[in-house]
Parts: sequence; structure tokens; C-alpha cells
Amino acid sequence: MYGWIWRHLPGNAWVRALLSLVLVLAVVYVLFQYVFPWAEPLLPFNDVTVDGQ
Amino acid sequence: MRVIVRTFSELCVTVGTLIVLFVVYVLFWTGVRADRAMDQQIDRLQDRWAEQSLATGGDGKGDGDAPLLARNVAPYDDGEPFAVMYIPRFGFTWNKPVLQGTATGTLKKGLGHYARTAQLGDMGNFAVAGHRRTYGDPFKDFPELRPGDAVVLTDGTTWFTYRIDRKPYRTLPGDIGVIDPVPRGSGYRGPGRYLTLTTCEPEWGHSHRLIAWAHLDATQPVEAGKPGALRR
Repeated sequence: MYGWIWRHLPGNAWVRALLSLVLVLAVVYVLFQYVFPWAEPLLPFNDVTVDGQ
Repeated sequence: MRVIVRTFSELCVTVGTLIVLFVVYVLFWTGVRADRAMDQQIDRLQDRWAEQSLATGGDGKGDGDAPLLARNVAPYDDGEPFAVMYIPRFGFTWNKPVLQGTATGTLKKGLGHYARTAQLGDMGNFAVAGHRRTYGDPFKDFPELRPGDAVVLTDGTTWFTYRIDRKPYRTLPGDIGVIDPVPRGSGYRGPGRYLTLTTCEPEWGHSHRLIAWAHLDATQPVEAGKPGALRR
């Protein structure tokens, strides 16, 4: 999987490393901004009211 | 065969990393975001109060003759901040905005006032919910509350000092009676000006709720300065 990505990135090793870093940062950003905020309410920590909301 | 094993191990590493990132998000990042959001809500409130005091003359005298508890009681706007809460037991610098409503999105920005309960300082029960863990951990030290502890609120014109009457009470999530005008299980007999705080119990779970009750002890206009409970 990661080997496949690495092979398909353009440029020499340095450019590929830089691109990989950008990709990782982009994935982390998407996770923190969109995926985790969606998943977090599924956990029990949000239930602080007494009317079962 | 080798490709399969390699891909499988890569997937495992990826899932592990995801879980670690998610834990970081829940434990740390929600707190960072909530602290920022709460500061923003308090700033908005203070801006609004500053404008109001200018609009009403702000000559220091104002309508000082008007009885304290016959204030302007416009209904609170859903999702909007309307007060700031101080609980010295949680730390001298502990202060959180109180927003109208207990929707999930509202509780991310501060404490939430149960929409169908009384307004601040009014007859009945002013009930407020807050996170115990995550989103800034506002009610982290909830079990430390003891009888006599002050819960101070201000709506920009008046300071309200409530006093906790008993140690936190553990109940089930469906026990709506605890936010009744005369809360069930609180030991209060007649109508009065009460305050109820609710949060989750156990700390990281949702099987129960923890409740604290207080009664209104004193009020004073903001011009009179901070109430005694907030003076060091």
C-alpha cells in the first residue's frame, strides 16, 4: 500500500518525501476537521443531561 | 503471499495510528477548541454588556431604584450565551459561559441551560448541564462540590450567589424530576429560587448522571462589585 504510493509519487527521493509529508498532513487535517467531529458524538462523553438527549 | 502479509501489517499500523490520533483528538484537541470557543462566548457577552450599559445611560446610577428581581426577563436566544458562571471550588480562575439550550453543539461552546427551566435568579429551578470530560472538562471536579460552596453567576446587570446544599447526587439519565421547579430528591420542600447542575457519571461513561443543587443566597447589582464569594 505505502510502497505503491511511494512508487507513484513523482520526482526524486527528496520530492517524494516532501509530497508524502504533505499527504500525511492533509489526511490528519481532514480527520481532525471532519471525520473525528462526526465520530466523537457516538462516544458516551456527550450525555450530560437528564432528559436523555 | 508476501504482498498480502505486507498489506495486512500496513493496515494494522494505519488503524493503530488512527486510534492514537482519535484519542489525541478527544482528550486534547476538543479541549483546545472548547477553551477557544468559551473564551469567544465570554468576549461576546462582555461586548454586549458593554454596549447595553452605554445604551442605558451608564452614568453609574441607571435604574438603581428598580427592585432587583423585577429585571428585564426577555427569553434567552437558543444557542446564545447569556451569563457567566464562577465556581471557586473548581479554581479561582474557573469561569464558563452559560448558553441557552442543551444541544450537542451548544455544549461544545459552554455550559447549557435547560430551555424549559426557570431563568437565572427567578422562582423555580435554573438548571445547567456541562461536560465532565472532553470539551475543556468544565465539570471535571464536580464530585468535589460540598454544601456551602458558592456558585456565582452574572448576567451583566446582577451577581447571583447560589449555595450548594448537599453533596452531589447520583441518579439515572431518565430522572427528569431532578430539574423540576422543586427538584425531586433534593430535600427542598417548598418553591424557591434553585439552581441545578448536571453532568455525566462515571467520569468517562454515560450510565448515570451526577446532580448538584443550590439555592439563591444573595444578589447584588454589578455596580456593587464582585460578591464576597469571588473575593480572594
